Amino acid sequence: MKSKTPTNEGRFAYEGLDRVIHERARLSVLTSLITHPKGLTFNELKQLCSLTDGNLSRHLSVLEKDAMVEILKGHDRNRPQTVCRITAAGRKRYLEYLETLEQVVRDAAKGAEEAAALVRHLNPSRA
Amino acid sequence: MDDLHKALGDISSIRRQVARSTEFRGYGPATLAATGVFALAAAGVQTVWVQNPSLQLGRYLTLWIATAVLSATLTGVQMYTRSRRMHSSMSDEMIRMAVEQFLPAVGAGLLLTIVLTQATPAAAWMVPGLWQVIFSLGIFSSCRFLPRPIFAAGAWYLLTGLCCIGLGGGRSLSPWAMAIPFGAGQFLVAGILFFSAKESGDEV
Repeated sequence: MKSKTPTNEGRFAYEGLDRVIHERARLSVLTSLITHPKGLTFNELKQLCSLTDGNLSRHLSVLEKDAMVEILKGHDRNRPQTVCRITAAGRKRYLEYLETLEQVVRDAAKGAEEAAALVRHLNPSRA
Repeated sequence: MDDLHKALGDISSIRRQVARSTEFRGYGPATLAATGVFALAAAGVQTVWVQNPSLQLGRYLTLWIATAVLSATLTGVQMYTRSRRMHSSMSDEMIRMAVEQFLPAVGAGLLLTIVLTQATPAAAWMVPGLWQVIFSLGIFSSCRFLPRPIFAAGAWYLLTGLCCIGLGGGRSLSPWAMAIPFGAGQFLVAGILFFSAKESGDEV
C-alpha cells in the first residue's frame, strides 16, 4: 500500500539511536568520558556511573570492541592504574546519538503540545 | 511536558559541557594568513595615503579600522561556515564561546581608541601599541579552546605592543609598527593552526 504522506516516511525511524550507546550504563560511561577528555580512572568512572567493577568492565569491553573508548593500563605511585578515554570515533558517534536523542524529545514535546491544544479545542470551557 | 523540556535542557547542558572541553577549530589557517596579508597591504597604503600620520590621525584610524573590519568580517564568515563542518551539532555553542572570549578585547580596543583620540589626542600615538596589547589579551583568553602553541602568538602581540609603546611619539604610528606585528603575528597564528590541524587529521 502506498503511503499517504511520502514525505513523512521514516520520520520517526531515529536510526541515529546507536544500540551500543543506548544502553543506560554505557550512556553514563560515555557521557562521563566525553565531559572529561583527558580520561578518567577506572575507580572514578565506577563512582560517577554507580556501577560495580564487573559491570563497568563488561560495558567498557563492549565500548572498546567498538573502538569508542581506549583503555590505558599504567602505574601511579607504584600502583597499577587503568585510565579510560573516549576516542575520536566514540566522540563523533556520541554527538550523533545526542543529536538524534534531542530530535526524539523535540518530536515528543511537539506531539504533546499538539495533543494539549486539541484537548483545549474540544473542551473550550475547561481551557 | 515539563519532563520533556527538562530532558531538552539536560541535552543542551551535556552539549555545553562537551563544547567547553572541545578545541575550537573554526578559525581557518588560510583565512588568518589572509588577514596578515591585509595588514601588509594596509601598511603599503599608509605609506602613500597617510604620509604624516601624526597630522592625519583621522586617515590613519580609517585605514586601520577598515582593515580590522574587513579581517573580522572575513574571519567571522569563515568561522561560521567552517564550524558548521567541523563541529556540526555543536557549532552554535562553539561559535558563541569563541565570540564571548574575544569580544571583550574588541570592545575594549574600540572604547580605548575613542577615548584616546577624542579626549587626549596628544596620547593617540599609543593607539597601535595598545591595540596589540589588547589583541594579545584576546588571544590569551581564547587559549583554552585553541591549540597550546597559540600562547606564543599572544606573547608575540604583547611583546610587539610593548615595544611599540616603548618607541614613543610619531614613530609608533609608522606603517611598520602595525605591519610587522599584525602581518607576522597572523602568519604565526595561521602556521600554528595549520600544523595542529594536520596533526589531528582535520581539514586545513
